[in-house]
Amino acid sequence: MFNDFLRKMMGSSPKSDSKDVAKKRLKFALIYDKLEVSDDTLRCLHRDIVEVISRYFEIDQEAFKMDIRRSDELSALIVNTPILSAKRHISPTGQR
Amino acid sequence: MDGRIIVITSGKGGVGKTTATASIGAALALEGRRVAVVDMDIGLRNLDVVMGLENRIVFNVVDAVKGKCKLKQASIKDRRIENLYLIPASQSDNKNVLSPEEMVSFGEILRKEFDFVLMDCPAGIERGFENSVASADEAVVICAPEVSSVRDADRVIGLLYAKSITPKLVINRIIPEMVERGDMLNHIDVVDVLSIELIGLVPMDDQVIIATNTGNPLVLQKKSKAGEAFRRIALRLNGMTDLPIEVPQAEGHFWRKIGTKLGLGK
Repeated sequence: MFNDFLRKMMGSSPKSDSKDVAKKRLKFALIYDKLEVSDDTLRCLHRDIVEVISRYFEIDQEAFKMDIRRSDELSALIVNTPILSAKRHISPTGQR
Repeated sequence: MDGRIIVITSGKGGVGKTTATASIGAALALEGRRVAVVDMDIGLRNLDVVMGLENRIVFNVVDAVKGKCKLKQASIKDRRIENLYLIPASQSDNKNVLSPEEMVSFGEILRKEFDFVLMDCPAGIERGFENSVASADEAVVICAPEVSSVRDADRVIGLLYAKSITPKLVINRIIPEMVERGDMLNHIDVVDVLSIELIGLVPMDDQVIIATNTGNPLVLQKKSKAGEAFRRIALRLNGMTDLPIEVPQAEGHFWRKIGTKLGLGK
Protein backbone atom coordinates (compact mmCIF):
# COMPACT_ATOMS: atom_id res chain seq x y z
CA MET A 1 0.00 0.00 0.00
CA PHE A 2 2.63 2.47 1.15
CA ASN A 3 4.98 1.15 -1.54
CA ASP A 4 2.37 1.79 -4.23
CA PHE A 5 1.86 5.29 -2.96
CA LEU A 6 5.60 5.94 -2.98
CA ARG A 7 5.95 4.48 -6.45
CA LYS A 8 3.30 6.87 -7.71
CA MET A 9 5.08 9.72 -6.01
CA MET A 10 8.34 8.76 -7.67
CA GLY A 11 6.57 8.53 -11.00
CA SER A 12 7.69 5.04 -11.92
CA SER A 13 5.20 2.59 -13.28
CA PRO A 14 5.36 -1.08 -14.19
CA LYS A 15 6.99 -1.79 -17.56
CA SER A 16 4.53 -2.53 -20.31
CA ASP A 17 6.94 -3.12 -23.23
CA SER A 18 4.56 -2.48 -26.11
CA LYS A 19 7.68 -1.37 -27.98
CA ASP A 20 8.84 -4.97 -28.17
CA VAL A 21 5.64 -5.80 -30.04
CA ALA A 22 6.29 -2.80 -32.30
CA LYS A 23 9.81 -3.97 -33.07
CA LYS A 24 8.73 -7.51 -33.86
CA ARG A 25 5.95 -6.31 -36.16
CA LEU A 26 8.29 -3.87 -37.86
CA LYS A 27 10.86 -6.53 -38.62
CA PHE A 28 8.21 -8.77 -40.19
CA ALA A 29 6.70 -5.90 -42.17
CA LEU A 30 10.11 -4.98 -43.60
CA ILE A 31 10.82 -8.58 -44.59
CA TYR A 32 7.45 -8.85 -46.35
CA ASP A 33 7.93 -5.46 -48.04
CA LYS A 34 11.19 -6.66 -49.53
CA LEU A 35 9.61 -9.85 -50.85
CA GLU A 36 6.84 -8.07 -52.70
CA VAL A 37 7.12 -8.42 -56.46
CA SER A 38 5.26 -6.37 -59.02
CA ASP A 39 2.98 -7.98 -61.62
CA ASP A 40 5.36 -6.79 -64.33
CA THR A 41 8.30 -8.59 -62.73
CA LEU A 42 6.20 -11.76 -62.44
CA ARG A 43 5.17 -11.55 -66.11
CA CYS A 44 8.80 -11.17 -67.22
CA LEU A 45 9.93 -14.02 -64.97
CA HIS A 46 7.11 -16.22 -66.33
CA ARG A 47 8.18 -15.52 -69.92
CA ASP A 48 11.88 -16.14 -69.21
CA ILE A 49 11.33 -19.40 -67.34
CA VAL A 50 9.10 -20.76 -70.10
CA GLU A 51 11.77 -19.82 -72.64
CA VAL A 52 14.59 -21.54 -70.73
CA ILE A 53 12.61 -24.74 -70.05
CA SER A 54 11.47 -24.83 -73.67
CA ARG A 55 15.10 -25.13 -74.77
CA TYR A 56 15.22 -28.56 -73.15
CA PHE A 57 11.65 -29.79 -73.04
CA GLU A 58 8.49 -29.59 -75.01
CA ILE A 59 6.08 -28.22 -72.39
CA ASP A 60 2.38 -27.49 -72.22
CA GLN A 61 2.52 -23.72 -71.94
CA GLU A 62 -1.19 -23.45 -71.12
CA ALA A 63 -0.82 -25.65 -68.06
CA PHE A 64 2.39 -23.92 -66.88
CA LYS A 65 1.90 -22.58 -63.35
CA MET A 66 4.09 -20.23 -61.34
CA ASP A 67 3.43 -19.07 -57.80
CA ILE A 68 5.12 -17.42 -54.85
CA ARG A 69 4.14 -19.13 -51.62
CA ARG A 70 4.90 -17.44 -48.30
CA SER A 71 5.19 -18.85 -44.86
CA ASP A 72 6.48 -17.25 -41.67
CA GLU A 73 9.94 -18.62 -42.21
CA LEU A 74 10.55 -18.20 -45.93
CA SER A 75 9.11 -17.54 -49.34
CA ALA A 76 9.27 -20.10 -52.13
CA LEU A 77 8.94 -19.74 -55.86
CA ILE A 78 6.95 -22.74 -57.07
CA VAL A 79 6.97 -23.61 -60.74
CA ASN A 80 4.88 -26.48 -62.02
CA THR A 81 4.77 -27.56 -65.64
CA PRO A 82 3.74 -30.73 -67.49
CA ILE A 83 6.50 -32.01 -69.77
CA LEU A 84 5.33 -33.35 -73.12
CA SER A 85 8.70 -34.59 -74.32
CA ALA A 86 12.43 -34.07 -73.92
CA LYS A 87 14.31 -32.37 -76.71
CA ARG A 88 17.22 -34.21 -78.33
CA HIS A 89 20.43 -32.74 -79.79
CA ILE A 90 21.19 -30.10 -77.21
CA SER A 91 24.64 -28.56 -77.52
CA PRO A 92 26.73 -28.39 -74.29
CA THR A 93 26.13 -24.64 -73.89
CA GLY A 94 22.42 -25.19 -73.91
CA GLN A 95 22.01 -23.53 -77.31
CA ARG A 96 19.79 -25.27 -79.81
CA MET B 1 35.48 24.95 -52.81
CA ASP B 2 32.08 23.69 -53.87
CA GLY B 3 29.32 23.50 -51.26
CA ARG B 4 27.61 20.33 -50.05
CA ILE B 5 24.03 19.54 -50.98
CA ILE B 6 22.16 17.56 -48.32
CA VAL B 7 18.62 16.28 -48.79
CA ILE B 8 16.43 16.03 -45.68
CA THR B 9 13.90 13.28 -46.26
CA SER B 10 11.69 10.75 -44.46
CA GLY B 11 9.18 9.11 -46.78
CA LYS B 12 6.35 9.61 -44.31
CA GLY B 13 4.87 13.05 -43.75
CA GLY B 14 4.63 14.82 -40.41
CA VAL B 15 7.80 13.50 -38.80
CA GLY B 16 9.57 16.85 -38.76
CA LYS B 17 11.48 17.30 -42.04
CA THR B 18 10.65 20.97 -42.33
CA THR B 19 11.45 21.76 -38.69
CA ALA B 20 14.71 19.83 -39.05
CA THR B 21 15.65 21.65 -42.26
CA ALA B 22 14.94 25.08 -40.76
CA SER B 23 16.76 24.30 -37.50
CA ILE B 24 19.83 22.56 -38.92
CA GLY B 25 20.11 25.28 -41.59
CA ALA B 26 19.91 28.04 -38.98
CA ALA B 27 22.45 26.30 -36.74
CA LEU B 28 24.92 25.86 -39.62
CA ALA B 29 24.55 29.56 -40.47
CA LEU B 30 25.23 30.44 -36.82
CA GLU B 31 28.49 28.53 -37.23
CA GLY B 32 29.41 31.03 -39.91
CA ARG B 33 28.64 28.91 -42.99
CA ARG B 34 26.72 30.27 -45.96
CA VAL B 35 23.52 28.24 -46.00
CA ALA B 36 20.57 27.91 -48.40
CA VAL B 37 17.48 25.97 -47.37
CA VAL B 38 15.36 24.99 -50.36
CA ASP B 39 11.66 24.13 -50.04
CA MET B 40 11.09 21.35 -52.57
CA ASP B 41 7.47 20.78 -51.59
CA ILE B 42 6.14 22.50 -54.72
CA GLY B 43 2.44 23.28 -54.31
CA LEU B 44 2.45 22.80 -50.53
CA ARG B 45 5.10 25.20 -49.31
CA ASN B 46 5.68 25.49 -45.56
CA LEU B 47 9.34 26.11 -44.89
CA ASP B 48 8.64 29.84 -45.36
CA VAL B 49 6.09 30.03 -42.51
CA VAL B 50 8.21 27.87 -40.23
CA MET B 51 11.06 30.33 -40.75
CA GLY B 52 8.83 33.40 -40.50
CA LEU B 53 9.72 34.60 -44.00
CA GLU B 54 6.33 34.07 -45.69
CA ASN B 55 5.58 37.72 -46.42
CA ARG B 56 8.86 38.36 -48.21
CA ILE B 57 8.44 35.92 -51.10
CA VAL B 58 8.69 37.40 -54.59
CA PHE B 59 10.36 34.68 -56.63
CA ASN B 60 10.56 30.95 -55.90
CA VAL B 61 12.60 27.86 -56.70
CA VAL B 62 10.65 27.14 -59.90
CA ASP B 63 11.42 30.66 -61.18
CA ALA B 64 15.08 30.20 -60.34
CA VAL B 65 15.35 26.73 -61.94
CA LYS B 66 13.54 27.88 -65.11
CA GLY B 67 15.76 30.96 -65.34
CA LYS B 68 12.87 33.39 -64.88
CA CYS B 69 14.89 35.13 -62.18
CA LYS B 70 18.42 35.13 -60.84
CA LEU B 71 19.34 32.87 -57.91
CA LYS B 72 19.89 36.02 -55.79
CA GLN B 73 16.33 37.20 -56.43
CA ALA B 74 14.83 33.88 -55.29
CA SER B 75 17.02 33.69 -52.16
CA ILE B 76 15.36 35.41 -49.18
CA LYS B 77 17.89 36.59 -46.63
CA ASP B 78 17.02 35.88 -43.00
CA ARG B 79 17.28 39.11 -41.01
CA ARG B 80 17.94 37.47 -37.63
CA ILE B 81 20.60 35.00 -38.71
CA GLU B 82 23.51 36.10 -40.87
CA ASN B 83 24.34 33.88 -43.89
CA LEU B 84 20.98 32.06 -43.89
CA TYR B 85 18.88 32.11 -47.08
CA LEU B 86 15.53 30.54 -47.95
CA ILE B 87 14.61 29.55 -51.48
CA PRO B 88 10.84 29.04 -51.20
CA ALA B 89 8.65 26.60 -53.12
CA SER B 90 6.13 27.78 -55.66
CA GLN B 91 2.56 27.47 -54.41
CA SER B 92 0.77 27.45 -57.77
CA ASP B 93 2.63 24.68 -59.59
CA ASN B 94 2.87 20.95 -58.97
CA LYS B 95 5.89 18.67 -58.58
CA ASN B 96 5.99 17.79 -62.29
CA VAL B 97 7.03 21.28 -63.43
CA LEU B 98 10.57 20.38 -62.39
CA SER B 99 12.67 17.44 -63.57
CA PRO B 100 15.62 15.70 -61.88
CA GLU B 101 17.85 16.81 -64.80
CA GLU B 102 16.96 20.46 -64.23
CA MET B 103 17.66 20.04 -60.52
CA VAL B 104 21.12 18.61 -61.21
CA SER B 105 22.08 21.74 -63.16
CA PHE B 106 20.45 23.99 -60.55
CA GLY B 107 22.50 22.19 -57.90
CA GLU B 108 25.69 23.16 -59.70
CA ILE B 109 24.71 26.84 -59.45
CA LEU B 110 23.79 26.48 -55.75
CA ARG B 111 27.09 24.75 -54.96
CA LYS B 112 29.02 27.78 -56.20
CA GLU B 113 27.10 30.21 -53.97
CA PHE B 114 26.71 28.33 -50.68
CA ASP B 115 28.71 26.14 -48.29
CA PHE B 116 25.62 24.10 -47.41
CA VAL B 117 22.41 23.58 -49.34
CA LEU B 118 19.62 21.75 -47.48
CA MET B 119 16.83 20.34 -49.64
CA ASP B 120 13.55 20.02 -47.73
CA CYS B 121 12.08 16.98 -49.48
CA PRO B 122 8.29 16.52 -49.68
CA ALA B 123 6.66 13.39 -48.24
CA GLY B 124 6.33 10.47 -50.62
CA ILE B 125 8.71 8.76 -53.03
CA GLU B 126 7.43 10.19 -56.31
CA ARG B 127 8.60 13.08 -58.47
CA GLY B 128 9.08 15.50 -55.56
CA PHE B 129 11.48 13.02 -53.94
CA GLU B 130 13.31 12.41 -57.22
CA ASN B 131 13.75 16.16 -57.73
CA SER B 132 15.00 16.73 -54.18
CA VAL B 133 17.51 13.91 -54.32
CA ALA B 134 18.77 14.52 -57.88
CA SER B 135 21.55 16.95 -57.00
CA ALA B 136 22.24 15.76 -53.44
CA ASP B 137 25.64 14.51 -52.26
CA GLU B 138 24.37 13.43 -48.86
CA ALA B 139 21.08 12.60 -47.16
CA VAL B 140 19.65 12.88 -43.68
CA VAL B 141 16.67 10.61 -43.01
CA ILE B 142 14.30 11.88 -40.31
CA CYS B 143 12.37 9.17 -38.52
CA ALA B 144 9.98 9.14 -35.56
CA PRO B 145 10.16 6.16 -33.18
CA GLU B 146 6.95 4.54 -34.38
CA VAL B 147 6.18 1.63 -36.70
CA SER B 148 4.85 3.50 -39.74
CA SER B 149 7.64 6.06 -39.75
CA VAL B 150 10.41 3.48 -39.40
CA ARG B 151 8.93 1.37 -42.17
CA ASP B 152 8.80 4.34 -44.56
CA ALA B 153 12.33 5.37 -43.54
CA ASP B 154 13.53 1.90 -44.48
CA ARG B 155 11.97 2.25 -47.92
CA VAL B 156 13.55 5.68 -48.47
CA ILE B 157 16.95 4.42 -47.27
CA GLY B 158 16.74 1.67 -49.91
CA LEU B 159 15.96 4.23 -52.63
CA LEU B 160 18.86 6.45 -51.50
CA TYR B 161 21.31 3.52 -51.59
CA ALA B 162 20.13 2.82 -55.14
CA LYS B 163 21.29 6.36 -55.96
CA SER B 164 24.68 5.71 -54.30
CA ILE B 165 23.90 7.96 -51.34
CA THR B 166 24.66 6.62 -47.85
CA PRO B 167 22.09 8.35 -45.61
CA LYS B 168 22.46 9.32 -41.97
CA LEU B 169 19.69 8.98 -39.41
CA VAL B 170 17.98 11.47 -37.10
CA ILE B 171 15.38 10.11 -34.70
CA ASN B 172 12.91 12.89 -33.95
CA ARG B 173 9.99 13.29 -31.53
CA ILE B 174 11.36 10.98 -28.86
CA ILE B 175 9.25 10.97 -25.69
CA PRO B 176 11.75 9.86 -23.01
CA GLU B 177 9.02 8.98 -20.46
CA MET B 178 7.45 6.54 -22.95
CA VAL B 179 10.83 5.07 -23.88
CA GLU B 180 11.55 4.52 -20.18
CA ARG B 181 8.21 2.77 -19.72
CA GLY B 182 8.92 0.52 -22.69
CA ASP B 183 6.06 2.00 -24.72
CA MET B 184 8.20 3.64 -27.38
CA LEU B 185 10.93 2.18 -29.56
CA ASN B 186 14.28 3.39 -28.19
CA HIS B 187 17.05 4.60 -30.45
CA ILE B 188 18.89 1.29 -30.21
CA ASP B 189 15.82 -0.53 -31.56
CA VAL B 190 15.43 1.91 -34.45
CA VAL B 191 19.11 1.82 -35.42
CA ASP B 192 19.01 -1.98 -35.15
CA VAL B 193 16.11 -2.16 -37.63
CA LEU B 194 17.40 0.46 -40.08
CA SER B 195 21.14 -0.21 -39.65
CA ILE B 196 22.46 3.17 -40.78
CA GLU B 197 24.67 5.71 -39.02
CA LEU B 198 22.93 7.80 -36.36
CA ILE B 199 23.71 11.53 -36.20
CA GLY B 200 21.17 12.80 -33.73
CA LEU B 201 18.36 12.15 -31.23
CA VAL B 202 15.72 14.87 -30.87
CA PRO B 203 13.16 14.87 -28.05
CA MET B 204 9.52 15.88 -28.44
CA ASP B 205 9.41 19.55 -27.43
CA ASP B 206 6.58 22.08 -26.94
CA GLN B 207 9.01 24.76 -28.07
CA VAL B 208 8.77 23.43 -31.64
CA ILE B 209 5.11 24.42 -31.88
CA ILE B 210 5.77 27.71 -30.08
CA ALA B 211 8.62 28.55 -32.47
CA THR B 212 6.44 27.66 -35.46
CA ASN B 213 3.56 29.78 -34.08
CA THR B 214 5.76 32.84 -34.05
CA GLY B 215 8.06 32.01 -36.97
CA ASN B 216 11.14 32.31 -34.78
CA PRO B 217 14.16 30.02 -35.26
CA LEU B 218 14.00 27.11 -32.81
CA VAL B 219 17.77 27.13 -32.37
CA LEU B 220 17.62 30.68 -30.95
CA GLN B 221 15.14 29.54 -28.27
CA LYS B 222 17.36 29.15 -25.20
CA LYS B 223 15.26 26.55 -23.35
CA SER B 224 14.51 24.33 -26.32
CA LYS B 225 15.80 20.78 -25.97
CA ALA B 226 14.90 20.01 -29.58
CA GLY B 227 16.68 23.18 -30.70
CA GLU B 228 19.80 22.11 -28.81
CA ALA B 229 19.63 18.63 -30.37
CA PHE B 230 19.35 20.11 -33.89
CA ARG B 231 22.28 22.41 -33.11
CA ARG B 232 24.42 19.39 -32.22
CA ILE B 233 23.37 17.65 -35.45
CA ALA B 234 24.49 20.74 -37.39
CA LEU B 235 27.86 20.72 -35.59
CA ARG B 236 28.29 17.07 -36.51
CA LEU B 237 27.46 17.76 -40.17
CA ASN B 238 29.93 20.64 -40.04
CA GLY B 239 32.77 18.27 -39.24
CA MET B 240 32.65 17.86 -35.46
CA THR B 241 32.18 14.13 -35.88
CA ASP B 242 33.37 13.19 -32.39
CA LEU B 243 30.62 15.20 -30.66
CA PRO B 244 28.76 12.61 -28.56
CA ILE B 245 25.08 11.90 -29.29
CA GLU B 246 23.00 12.78 -26.24
CA VAL B 247 20.12 10.49 -25.37
CA PRO B 248 17.02 12.52 -24.34
CA GLN B 249 16.23 12.02 -20.65
CA ALA B 250 12.87 12.15 -18.92
CA GLU B 251 12.00 15.16 -16.74
CA GLY B 252 12.19 14.40 -13.02
CA HIS B 253 14.76 11.79 -13.79
CA PHE B 254 16.50 12.65 -10.53
CA TRP B 255 13.55 11.60 -8.34
CA ARG B 256 13.04 8.43 -10.29
CA LYS B 257 16.69 7.53 -9.83
CA ILE B 258 16.33 8.00 -6.08
CA GLY B 259 13.18 5.89 -6.21
CA THR B 260 15.10 3.11 -7.95
CA LYS B 261 17.83 3.35 -5.34
CA LEU B 262 15.23 2.95 -2.59
CA GLY B 263 14.08 -0.28 -4.18
CA LEU B 264 10.94 1.09 -5.77
CA GLY B 265 12.16 0.58 -9.31
CA LYS B 266 10.52 -1.47 -12.00
